[in-house]
Amino acid sequence: MENIYKPYLMNISDMIDEAPGVRTFRLNFLNEDEGKNFQFQAGQFALYSVFGYGESTFCIASSPTRKDYIECTFRQAGRVTNALSELNVGDTIGFRGPYGNVFPIEEWEGKNLVFVAGGIALPPLRCVIWNCLDLRDKYKNITIVYGAKTVADLVYKHELKEWNARDDVNLVTTVDPGGETPDWSGKVGFVPTVVEQTAPSSEDTIAIVCGPPIMIKFTLPVLEKLGFKQEKVYTTLESRMKCGLGKCGRCNIGCTYVCKDGPVFTAEEISKMPDEF
Amino acid sequence: MEKTLKKEKFNSLITGLKDQGYKTIAPKKDSNLVMLDEVQSADEIHLDHVQTNNSIKEFFLPKTEKILSYRIEKNKVSMEEPEGFAVKTVVFGSRPCDAASLPIMDKVFNWDCTDKFWVQRREATTIVTIACDKCDNYCFCTSVGLAPDSKEGSDVLLTKVSDDEYLVETVTEKGEKLVESLGTVFTPADNPGTETLNRQVATVENKFEIEKVKPWLDENFVHKVWAEFSTKCIGCGACTFVCPTCHCFDIVDECTMSKGDRVKNWDGCQFKMFTLHTSGHNPRSTQDQRWRQRIMHKFKYYVEKFDSILCVGCGRCSRVCPADMNISEMLEIIATEESQPVNKE
Repeated sequence: MENIYKPYLMNISDMIDEAPGVRTFRLNFLNEDEGKNFQFQAGQFALYSVFGYGESTFCIASSPTRKDYIECTFRQAGRVTNALSELNVGDTIGFRGPYGNVFPIEEWEGKNLVFVAGGIALPPLRCVIWNCLDLRDKYKNITIVYGAKTVADLVYKHELKEWNARDDVNLVTTVDPGGETPDWSGKVGFVPTVVEQTAPSSEDTIAIVCGPPIMIKFTLPVLEKLGFKQEKVYTTLESRMKCGLGKCGRCNIGCTYVCKDGPVFTAEEISKMPDEF
Repeated sequence: MEKTLKKEKFNSLITGLKDQGYKTIAPKKDSNLVMLDEVQSADEIHLDHVQTNNSIKEFFLPKTEKILSYRIEKNKVSMEEPEGFAVKTVVFGSRPCDAASLPIMDKVFNWDCTDKFWVQRREATTIVTIACDKCDNYCFCTSVGLAPDSKEGSDVLLTKVSDDEYLVETVTEKGEKLVESLGTVFTPADNPGTETLNRQVATVENKFEIEKVKPWLDENFVHKVWAEFSTKCIGCGACTFVCPTCHCFDIVDECTMSKGDRVKNWDGCQFKMFTLHTSGHNPRSTQDQRWRQRIMHKFKYYVEKFDSILCVGCGRCSRVCPADMNISEMLEIIATEESQPVNKE
């Protein structure tokens, strides 16, 4: 019988420092057959482990259209992510997943998309952004609104440049007041305000929002004001998790298990959950 | 044919099980506690108690269990799967409430994907339950749809019919095979038959109407009763550890520099750390939220997900609570509120 807690072994094949304390790993399966059989969809998450330190939960940050590797981006914050940040290219980590539900990108075909992310919450959206950009013909206008505390805190700086240079992506970047540098050419202001100023028409548009709770709290009413119906607004939640498989009992919000029923929810689904985020 | 088990045959029972390679778990006196634990002989078995202090769950979901071993050499990691964790076992003399917890817990460990550590231990274990001939004020099995002589989850049910004899009822095929394999340990029941035997079964008073509990929980996630009732809770989590249906666990690594184990440890929703995010944010940051989670999980969430109440009315949580919180009192309040709300704000 299969051991559901047994991770895949992954080799760190590349890494990049995105922002202070934030790093991306590119991972490859040590066992090639496992790599060939591995499939996931945008929105899913995994448990990453450093042997001797334990497991930590975060999203898969690369797109399923890029089949040769998996990428994850983490902030050095706790025991496991601190241990992860001590590792180097060539080291081995554990990986359990993919877990959870997915962004329904097929349902979004033919529509405009607006992605709204704050700080370290761009990684979960980066997966679905690249997924949609790699299938660019299937979607109409794509807008990305991304904000961070300071210019230094913006992650995926090289990709922001790439998106900015594309004429089929409308990228809006912003930093909190005081977080700008003299040569900053983006906006200065909090994400909800910038969304209000720059969001495209809500007509035939899907909004995908991810950020710290405070950003979500103030962005959802803005989107509603702009005419976005709750069922057209998607987000991805995070919870402390141990198993990722609906057994260990801690990630529930009311009857909803973030690990199995989520992490992707519509604003409509969230509005029906008890206030226990 | 109906059978009975005489107390004088306990010795041959335990020996018989040993000969067949079974590990036997039974209630055993441990200073002033009665614990389900491994026994080597019938002399160790203690049956003059209401309820064992520990529940049956640790024989299926141990307090701590290895789910993976690993070795790190230079930067190469190798993993090894634990083996031999599912030992052929008989649990003898556990209570019907403990037995009933097992099919309830099977649901969470089998749904969607299978936790082999639970499932293989379940398969390797036969449950011989003894119906309760006494109870105390903490018992409330009858309020959650069970009884002191329930058969749910048992493979064999024994009911005391005299000071030195138990009526034997096989419940499952597994139980039947076990009884058969032990042959003459069991005595064919005398004529005219078992219906004349005096079954000594405790009377457990019904404390609340369970059908009133979920409708109230559906409507009252926000209610002052949660905080009022849980003010005295100190968050020690003892209730979750003695509970036969609390199954929340943690996964951690225990290691030296080059080798270690990944282990699953008991955890509990009453601990602040249980839901604490790395960022410092905590969705259940206060004790009343954690108390509400425990009640909601048992009487609403689990019911919606798996169509079972996650409680067997054993009363251990209330017996062990250092702050004298009593779950059946909380449920009485809920059921009463549902009938005639007085506390509603």
